[in-house]
Amino acid sequence: MPRIVKFSLIIIAVYCLLKIPGVFFTRPIPASVLSVYLLFAVVATLLAMTATGEGATGFIEPIASLFADPSKRAARNIVLVIVPIAAAWIAYAALRPDDAPPPIVRSIHPAPPAAFTAYGRTIELASLTNPYRASEKENPSQFRAAVDEGAEIYFKNCFYCHGAKLDGAGHYARGLSPSPVPFRGTDTIAQLQESYVFWRVAKGGPGLPREGGPWLSAMPAWEDALTEDEAWKVVTFIYDYTGNRPRSWAK
Amino acid sequence: MGKVKDIIRIFPALLLLLIAPLSHAGTDAGKETYLKRCAGCHGKDGTGNGPAARFLNPAPRDLTAGVFKWKTTPFDEPMPSGDDLYAVIAGHNAGPGWSGLGNTAMPGWSDTLSKGEIRDVAAYLKKLGGLDAPRKPSISASAGPSATAAAIETGKRLFKDRCAECHGAQGRGNGAKRLKDDWGGRTWPRDLTKSWTFRRGGGREAVYATMTVGIPGTQMPSFADPKSKKMLTNGERWAVAGYAASIDEPAKTPGTDTVVRAARTDGVLPSTPADAAWAKTAYASFFLTPQIIAGDRLYAPALDAISIKAVYNEKDIAFLVEWDDRTEGIPRDAKSMEIAGGEVEPDSVALEFPAEPPRDGDAQLPCFGMGDSLGQVNIWQWKNAVLEPLRLIDANGPRNMRERDAVASGLSANGVYDNGAWRVVFKRPLRTATPEIQFEEGRFIPIAFAAWDGSNGEKGSKHVMTPWFWLRLEPPADRTAYVWPIVAGILAFAAEWAWLVKRP
Repeated sequence: MPRIVKFSLIIIAVYCLLKIPGVFFTRPIPASVLSVYLLFAVVATLLAMTATGEGATGFIEPIASLFADPSKRAARNIVLVIVPIAAAWIAYAALRPDDAPPPIVRSIHPAPPAAFTAYGRTIELASLTNPYRASEKENPSQFRAAVDEGAEIYFKNCFYCHGAKLDGAGHYARGLSPSPVPFRGTDTIAQLQESYVFWRVAKGGPGLPREGGPWLSAMPAWEDALTEDEAWKVVTFIYDYTGNRPRSWAK
Repeated sequence: MGKVKDIIRIFPALLLLLIAPLSHAGTDAGKETYLKRCAGCHGKDGTGNGPAARFLNPAPRDLTAGVFKWKTTPFDEPMPSGDDLYAVIAGHNAGPGWSGLGNTAMPGWSDTLSKGEIRDVAAYLKKLGGLDAPRKPSISASAGPSATAAAIETGKRLFKDRCAECHGAQGRGNGAKRLKDDWGGRTWPRDLTKSWTFRRGGGREAVYATMTVGIPGTQMPSFADPKSKKMLTNGERWAVAGYAASIDEPAKTPGTDTVVRAARTDGVLPSTPADAAWAKTAYASFFLTPQIIAGDRLYAPALDAISIKAVYNEKDIAFLVEWDDRTEGIPRDAKSMEIAGGEVEPDSVALEFPAEPPRDGDAQLPCFGMGDSLGQVNIWQWKNAVLEPLRLIDANGPRNMRERDAVASGLSANGVYDNGAWRVVFKRPLRTATPEIQFEEGRFIPIAFAAWDGSNGEKGSKHVMTPWFWLRLEPPADRTAYVWPIVAGILAFAAEWAWLVKRP
């Protein structure tokens, strides 16, 4: 097999490998990182294949013969046509009018404040705990009752947007931007302390810090509509339903 | 001998004894899944009285009633097939952003429950509803005759005669009848131009199936019932289904659009909705979401999508705003009040812009819900009213609004209701002398929308709305973007030529 073909096959294989996380696991490698990896692969393969004099000649020979060998006229002409077209395309891609809207930069889990005001008092996040959490072990029937009440509150207030499946895809979700946060999965409430979730419920979109884009969020400030007890019950419910555990300080 | 006979006689009973615990296991597992996943809407006892029920339209089904709306068995077979129950729970691709029953709160569960779990829930639902296995097979809704132009023409004629009374002359669901289901709830005939809202999905086959089976529990009859005065032959049903599929408007399906692209024209801007000039530009369509953030909330909206076109010339910009509304809300009009079942507010629509659009994408915007203390918005609101149809409002939040003279800013608007669709044209100079939104070519300007269906009791903060999207006045095509690539290509070719000639 000519070395140049081998080289192309290796690069294509590396490219496919790098594409796998995006195509099969919905976790694409960012394009910029991908191009850096690909550059490394090209350089390393080139170095390995042209390390010896024999290897270098073997590599360049098919390219050189394209122009020296009269029998390869057709292939040569194709290359001669492709190069100007590629040059034109690169120039076009660089100059193409950019008509994509500006990206919205916003932090999904912005850093919480040390303290916030809700329910007529100042609440410190560091010392804020879920009053029902302890009952999970000590008084399971009280805990179940809190979860059941939380479910009822959730279905009266939250499920329109956050969904009956707690997947952030309620029947109003598709008309909102940014999309409502899903609770199932391991990358939202599983990464947060309950005090943070309580803060988000109580203060809603209007209570977001600037980097969270408060002007975009449709999340109401629930301190106006739910009591503190109700807010804790609904927080307890969303952890229980999804099987997620709140983060806590190591003891 | 007698003993053997006895055993044979009681054999079916013995068999049942063996099977009963097995099938019971299925419904038990189904009940457990049901209580966790379904009770929030359908209620712990299945009567459709879950905590969410009174905030939903359509209401969650009463599963103990034994009436199943979305089935494929014939009209004279009250029992759904097992596949019918399975299909409604599992869901299907119901258009952008939704995999459940179209335009309801019932999601598709196939991403959450396993096939076995869905079957167990279906078994439990059969028990709840006292459903037996159907004795008649499901109808076939595939392999219908092709929808030729002649068939669609026939379908159109039949539609006018059999369907238009409820579904409206143009199929927008704007019939002149107030409908209710067997449980006394208000129902709305489907808007056939929006296949993305169909419960079991769009397409000719789905329409044919619904026409053939009917929708049990509602006023949608089966058109295959020979006892009905409205009976249609199989071929006629396919023809009507073909016509219904032909009036779908996929160009106005919301989902992926984020930018309203205003086209540049050198001529006069269209000033009425009927102007032929609008045909040259494309729609941008958005979902409408009820306002459930603050104040008086709206939980059961009647409007679901809005479509916009825009054009501009060197002086002015014009917007065509279209949305389907089954009722033309005329306050104090007897017919309007009869359909609405009470007081009627005027239908209305509003466009919203930040008074000062930001220069960068990540800069601060006013809150999409009427601005906030840091950012002012300009709201253009048109109402279906004789007095003061157009209002121009500066707002810094819902409790901080000031009305301003629309005429002084050169703003004008006029709206027309036709067969279930509102079309409203707004027009304003690109630049004004007052401090407010100024339209600049090429810039991305935030834009948001709100609408009110007055026959649905919507007024004030009870309305549907969108988040911020973008408006861009598209500059005329820049030709230099094509010149340089050609130059680059020619240069590359010249370099090749020079190199070839120089070679020995």
